[in-house]
Amino acid sequence: MKTNKMIISWSWREIWSGQLWPVMVALTLIIACVVALSTLALRVEKVMTNQGRDLLAADLVLRSSNPIPELLVEKAQDAGLTISSQSRFQTMAFSDEKLQLVTVKSVESSYPLRGSLTLRDANQSAKNQVKAGELWLSPRLFSILESKVGDIIAIGDAELPITGVIEEEPELAYNPFNSIPNVFIHSSDLDKTGAIQIGSRVRYRLFINGDPTSLAAFQESYELQPGESWVDQNRESRAVRLMDKAKQYLSLTILMVILMAAVTLILTCLHYVRNRSETVSMLKSMGSSRAWLRTWLTTQVLIMFISAFVVGSTLGLLLEYLLRVPLADILPQELPNVGVQPFLFALGVALCIGLPALLIPLTRLLDAPAINVIQKQSVTYSKTSWWLLLLPFTALVVFYGGNKLVWMVLIGLLVLFVVLAGLSYGFLQLLSKLKWGAAFSLALSRISRSPKNSMMQLAALSGSLMLVALIWLVKSDLLGDWQQTLAPDAPNVFSINISPEQQQNYLQELDKSGLPHSDAFAIIRGRITKIKGQETNELAAYQDPEVRILKREVNFTWMDQLPIYNEVVAGDWTGEKTVSVEQEVAEELGLQIGDTMTFEVNSQPFTATVNSLRAVEWQSLKPNFVFIFSKDAVANLPSTWMVSFRAEEDQTPLVNELARAYPTVTLLDLRTMATKVQSLLRQISWSLTGLAALGVVAGILLIFTLLRLSLSERKREITLYRTLGASKKRISHTLWAEYGLLALSGGFVAAIAAEVILSALMIWGFELSPQWHPSMFIVLPVLAMIVVFVSLRSVIKSLMKPLR
Amino acid sequence: MSQSIINVENITKSVISNDNELSILKGISFNINEGESVAIMGTSGAGKSTMMSLLAGLDLPSSGSISLLGSIISDMDDEQRAKMRSESIGFVFQNFLLIPSLNALQNVTLPMLLRGNEDQEDNERKAKKLLAEVGLSGRETHLPTQLSGGEQQRVALARAFVTQPKVLFADEPTGNLDQKTAKTIVELLFAMNKEQGTTLVLVTHDPELAKRCQRTLIMNAGQCQESA
Ligand SMILES: Nc1ncnc2c1ncn2[C@@H]1O[C@H](COP(=O)(O)OP(=O)(O)OP(=O)(O)O)[C@@H](O)[C@H]1O
Ligand SMILES: [Mg+2]
Repeated sequence: MKTNKMIISWSWREIWSGQLWPVMVALTLIIACVVALSTLALRVEKVMTNQGRDLLAADLVLRSSNPIPELLVEKAQDAGLTISSQSRFQTMAFSDEKLQLVTVKSVESSYPLRGSLTLRDANQSAKNQVKAGELWLSPRLFSILESKVGDIIAIGDAELPITGVIEEEPELAYNPFNSIPNVFIHSSDLDKTGAIQIGSRVRYRLFINGDPTSLAAFQESYELQPGESWVDQNRESRAVRLMDKAKQYLSLTILMVILMAAVTLILTCLHYVRNRSETVSMLKSMGSSRAWLRTWLTTQVLIMFISAFVVGSTLGLLLEYLLRVPLADILPQELPNVGVQPFLFALGVALCIGLPALLIPLTRLLDAPAINVIQKQSVTYSKTSWWLLLLPFTALVVFYGGNKLVWMVLIGLLVLFVVLAGLSYGFLQLLSKLKWGAAFSLALSRISRSPKNSMMQLAALSGSLMLVALIWLVKSDLLGDWQQTLAPDAPNVFSINISPEQQQNYLQELDKSGLPHSDAFAIIRGRITKIKGQETNELAAYQDPEVRILKREVNFTWMDQLPIYNEVVAGDWTGEKTVSVEQEVAEELGLQIGDTMTFEVNSQPFTATVNSLRAVEWQSLKPNFVFIFSKDAVANLPSTWMVSFRAEEDQTPLVNELARAYPTVTLLDLRTMATKVQSLLRQISWSLTGLAALGVVAGILLIFTLLRLSLSERKREITLYRTLGASKKRISHTLWAEYGLLALSGGFVAAIAAEVILSALMIWGFELSPQWHPSMFIVLPVLAMIVVFVSLRSVIKSLMKPLR
Repeated sequence: MSQSIINVENITKSVISNDNELSILKGISFNINEGESVAIMGTSGAGKSTMMSLLAGLDLPSSGSISLLGSIISDMDDEQRAKMRSESIGFVFQNFLLIPSLNALQNVTLPMLLRGNEDQEDNERKAKKLLAEVGLSGRETHLPTQLSGGEQQRVALARAFVTQPKVLFADEPTGNLDQKTAKTIVELLFAMNKEQGTTLVLVTHDPELAKRCQRTLIMNAGQCQESA
């Protein structure tokens, strides 16, 4: 018992003084990453599956931008299907004091057909259907509107007392940017709100339940009209796709962290074995049995695994929390329990990587012969433990065998590292063309004498620096882009859904209040039906899932002059019955100047000729349109109006007054949206910082390990130089020059690589315009040199100790 | 007549190096009795270290037989020889070979641990006593890096004697030390050898040290002769 204690405390010290601790840190990182990612993934997955049908609120849903035809409803009833219909729209809700944009869902008492709706009224009793005259608010609204149950709330023109709170509802929207709270009213109260008028944006849903065969038959027999689509469980929601994408980005970063940790692990173990083979020989000469040595090494391995597991799991849960913060709005309050699965999984991954990395070198250590204490001998090591290598590979094949992405990423990473190594090496060769002092020339020749070693160091150095830079830059670019859109004098409130009769008065009202505003734009909702005389659904572009504009309703407007903030890239704003098209959409649809297009508004077709193409900056938050018509083309069509204006903080009462005077006009207040977006971005940036921290630790640990190992391996060579009489100064200058140059070129190449990958990410991943970061070309090499300096200072110092 | 503890009969040792068979020891026989102190001398490359590793059972001869404490070492497997070493043999090396992560006291208790002496308190008491004998009381908790070369070799001596081995092998125990330090180490070595009655086999280039031994074997080109 006491012996065991001694072995444990010895092992603990062996781990720290024997430089095995990077193994422990690497294992901790691996476990933390896997725990975090798999906990999060499991949670989200559970939420999604728990809510599969609940999410739809029925077995099958017909979604439409037009009212559901009565005929269809009858047909469904004849087929023995249960139905329920819903219309939803956005409008303003007013209490005595406050106002808020809300999503109104007007439902029948039969809603929902699937999933649960829990409403709690003043008596705390739970209801699960909405009745005529009732008004239910989502919990947030009570504080926003400073109201309580029983208070009167105006929804558009209708005034209703609050019946109670929505505790649980189906059809949760998984959209982090959708911060608009819900209210439920009964469909019989819909007309009173006055919010529905021609041209206002209302979406309709027909919920259908029934046995699968009649459902399928019904779906089969109905021909979808423009603007209609089916939604069933099999169709992935946008939210699920969004989550999948997020998961992929996360996995990529984490995969990099794991790879770096794994390399650290292997290198450290190899070094440990080289350092400790003498100790093992000595223990053997003193008569320790193999069994004893095995216990000794196993204790070390166990200590490392257990500590890494405990610390890593804790860190992992913390990281999971950080990653989850931005999702707070879309995940339910009560998160599903994930149990021990993530921990087992993390342990599995750690074992798959750790066992071969640790046991192969350590069993070789057991082979160190006793005679080595007296005479150094070359040893043939047994290869019996090489089978352990099968562990990570079988695991990869079993779990990801069919997943091309994983393999592509792995291969991509390998290629990336090779490219990075090559580039930095090339850069060094360039440097060597220049005239340098003696120390630098010596250092450069030394680097090119062992290209394999140098390349590996360079790859690790630039790879981890690049990763660190990338995570950091993505974060700051995303934040910066949003800050830019909130320019100081840009309009920050949009009024939409203004009826033609209200338009003149509304503008006068704005002028009177002294709120600087844009011109009013007509909003006409319609769709494209033909291009150059050909039906849109016969076009090739119609089949392209990326081209959505042919399948939905679009906001049209007319203008006398094109807005000055849109650059005309082709054609001229002239001619009669013409339309100007945004250039990217024009490209998608293959439109050219002079092409004719046919549109339909309220079943009224009309034709216009393309006269110009415009470049539009969508994220500028100025009123922008894909199609701008000449007045003669659309002026007679039914429209609503929109105007944007700028309100400062102290003008909020004016805005509220305006909203009350025109209750059916919808106000999109970007000021509240912007704070929402900013807080979301802040949360995301916290998550990214958490991830970045892991990446930085893994990267620096790897660089640190590599550098220290490469130096201590050269201990003998350096001692030899010193015995031969090279001055301490000369040697330390050469060493610093060598590693300084490595850092310089590694940092420089990391900056190039980070810029390239970042631009690609910004263009294709986030659809933003890329920026250059010249400062990176200084920051990264300097950072690299600092890391080099910190990791090597003590080693070089100890190498320079007086010879004995 | 005292008992034979090491008996060497016509041993040879050859190794394959660069596809050539290199004969290091070429038929050597001698006997060492219990309690004797024997110095092995000879020019560099004469085969002294090779000889010693065979005597201690760290390696096996190519032919001939060595009996150590009454057993033929070629007849034992690795584990049996290890067991025998832990029970009856001590070593002192030229480069001390202390465990860097263990302090002086723990380095000394280590052989008892390997032997299976579980009573740590007893082990530590014995180790402290030995450390005091080599003049290192008060330095028990120091790590090898905190000790000078001579002090490290003293710890190594304490470690070698703590199990009261029957035979102690030392390969150039003073080779890495300056003369003055070497002298104190030699004094300690012989004092403890005398106290415990240990058989001593030591390889040395130092004639002074050899003179302190009862017998000297001279090795030359794989042959061995008793010196007069
Ligand atoms: N494994 C081996 N492979 C090849 N040659 C070896 C091997 N072991 C020993 N030798 C050679 O055998 C000879 C004797 O070596 P050994 O180490 O026994 O000499 P030594 O007498 O201890 O010398 P020194 O006084 O320098 O320590 C040397 O020439 C050495 O090169
Ligand atoms: Mg020798």
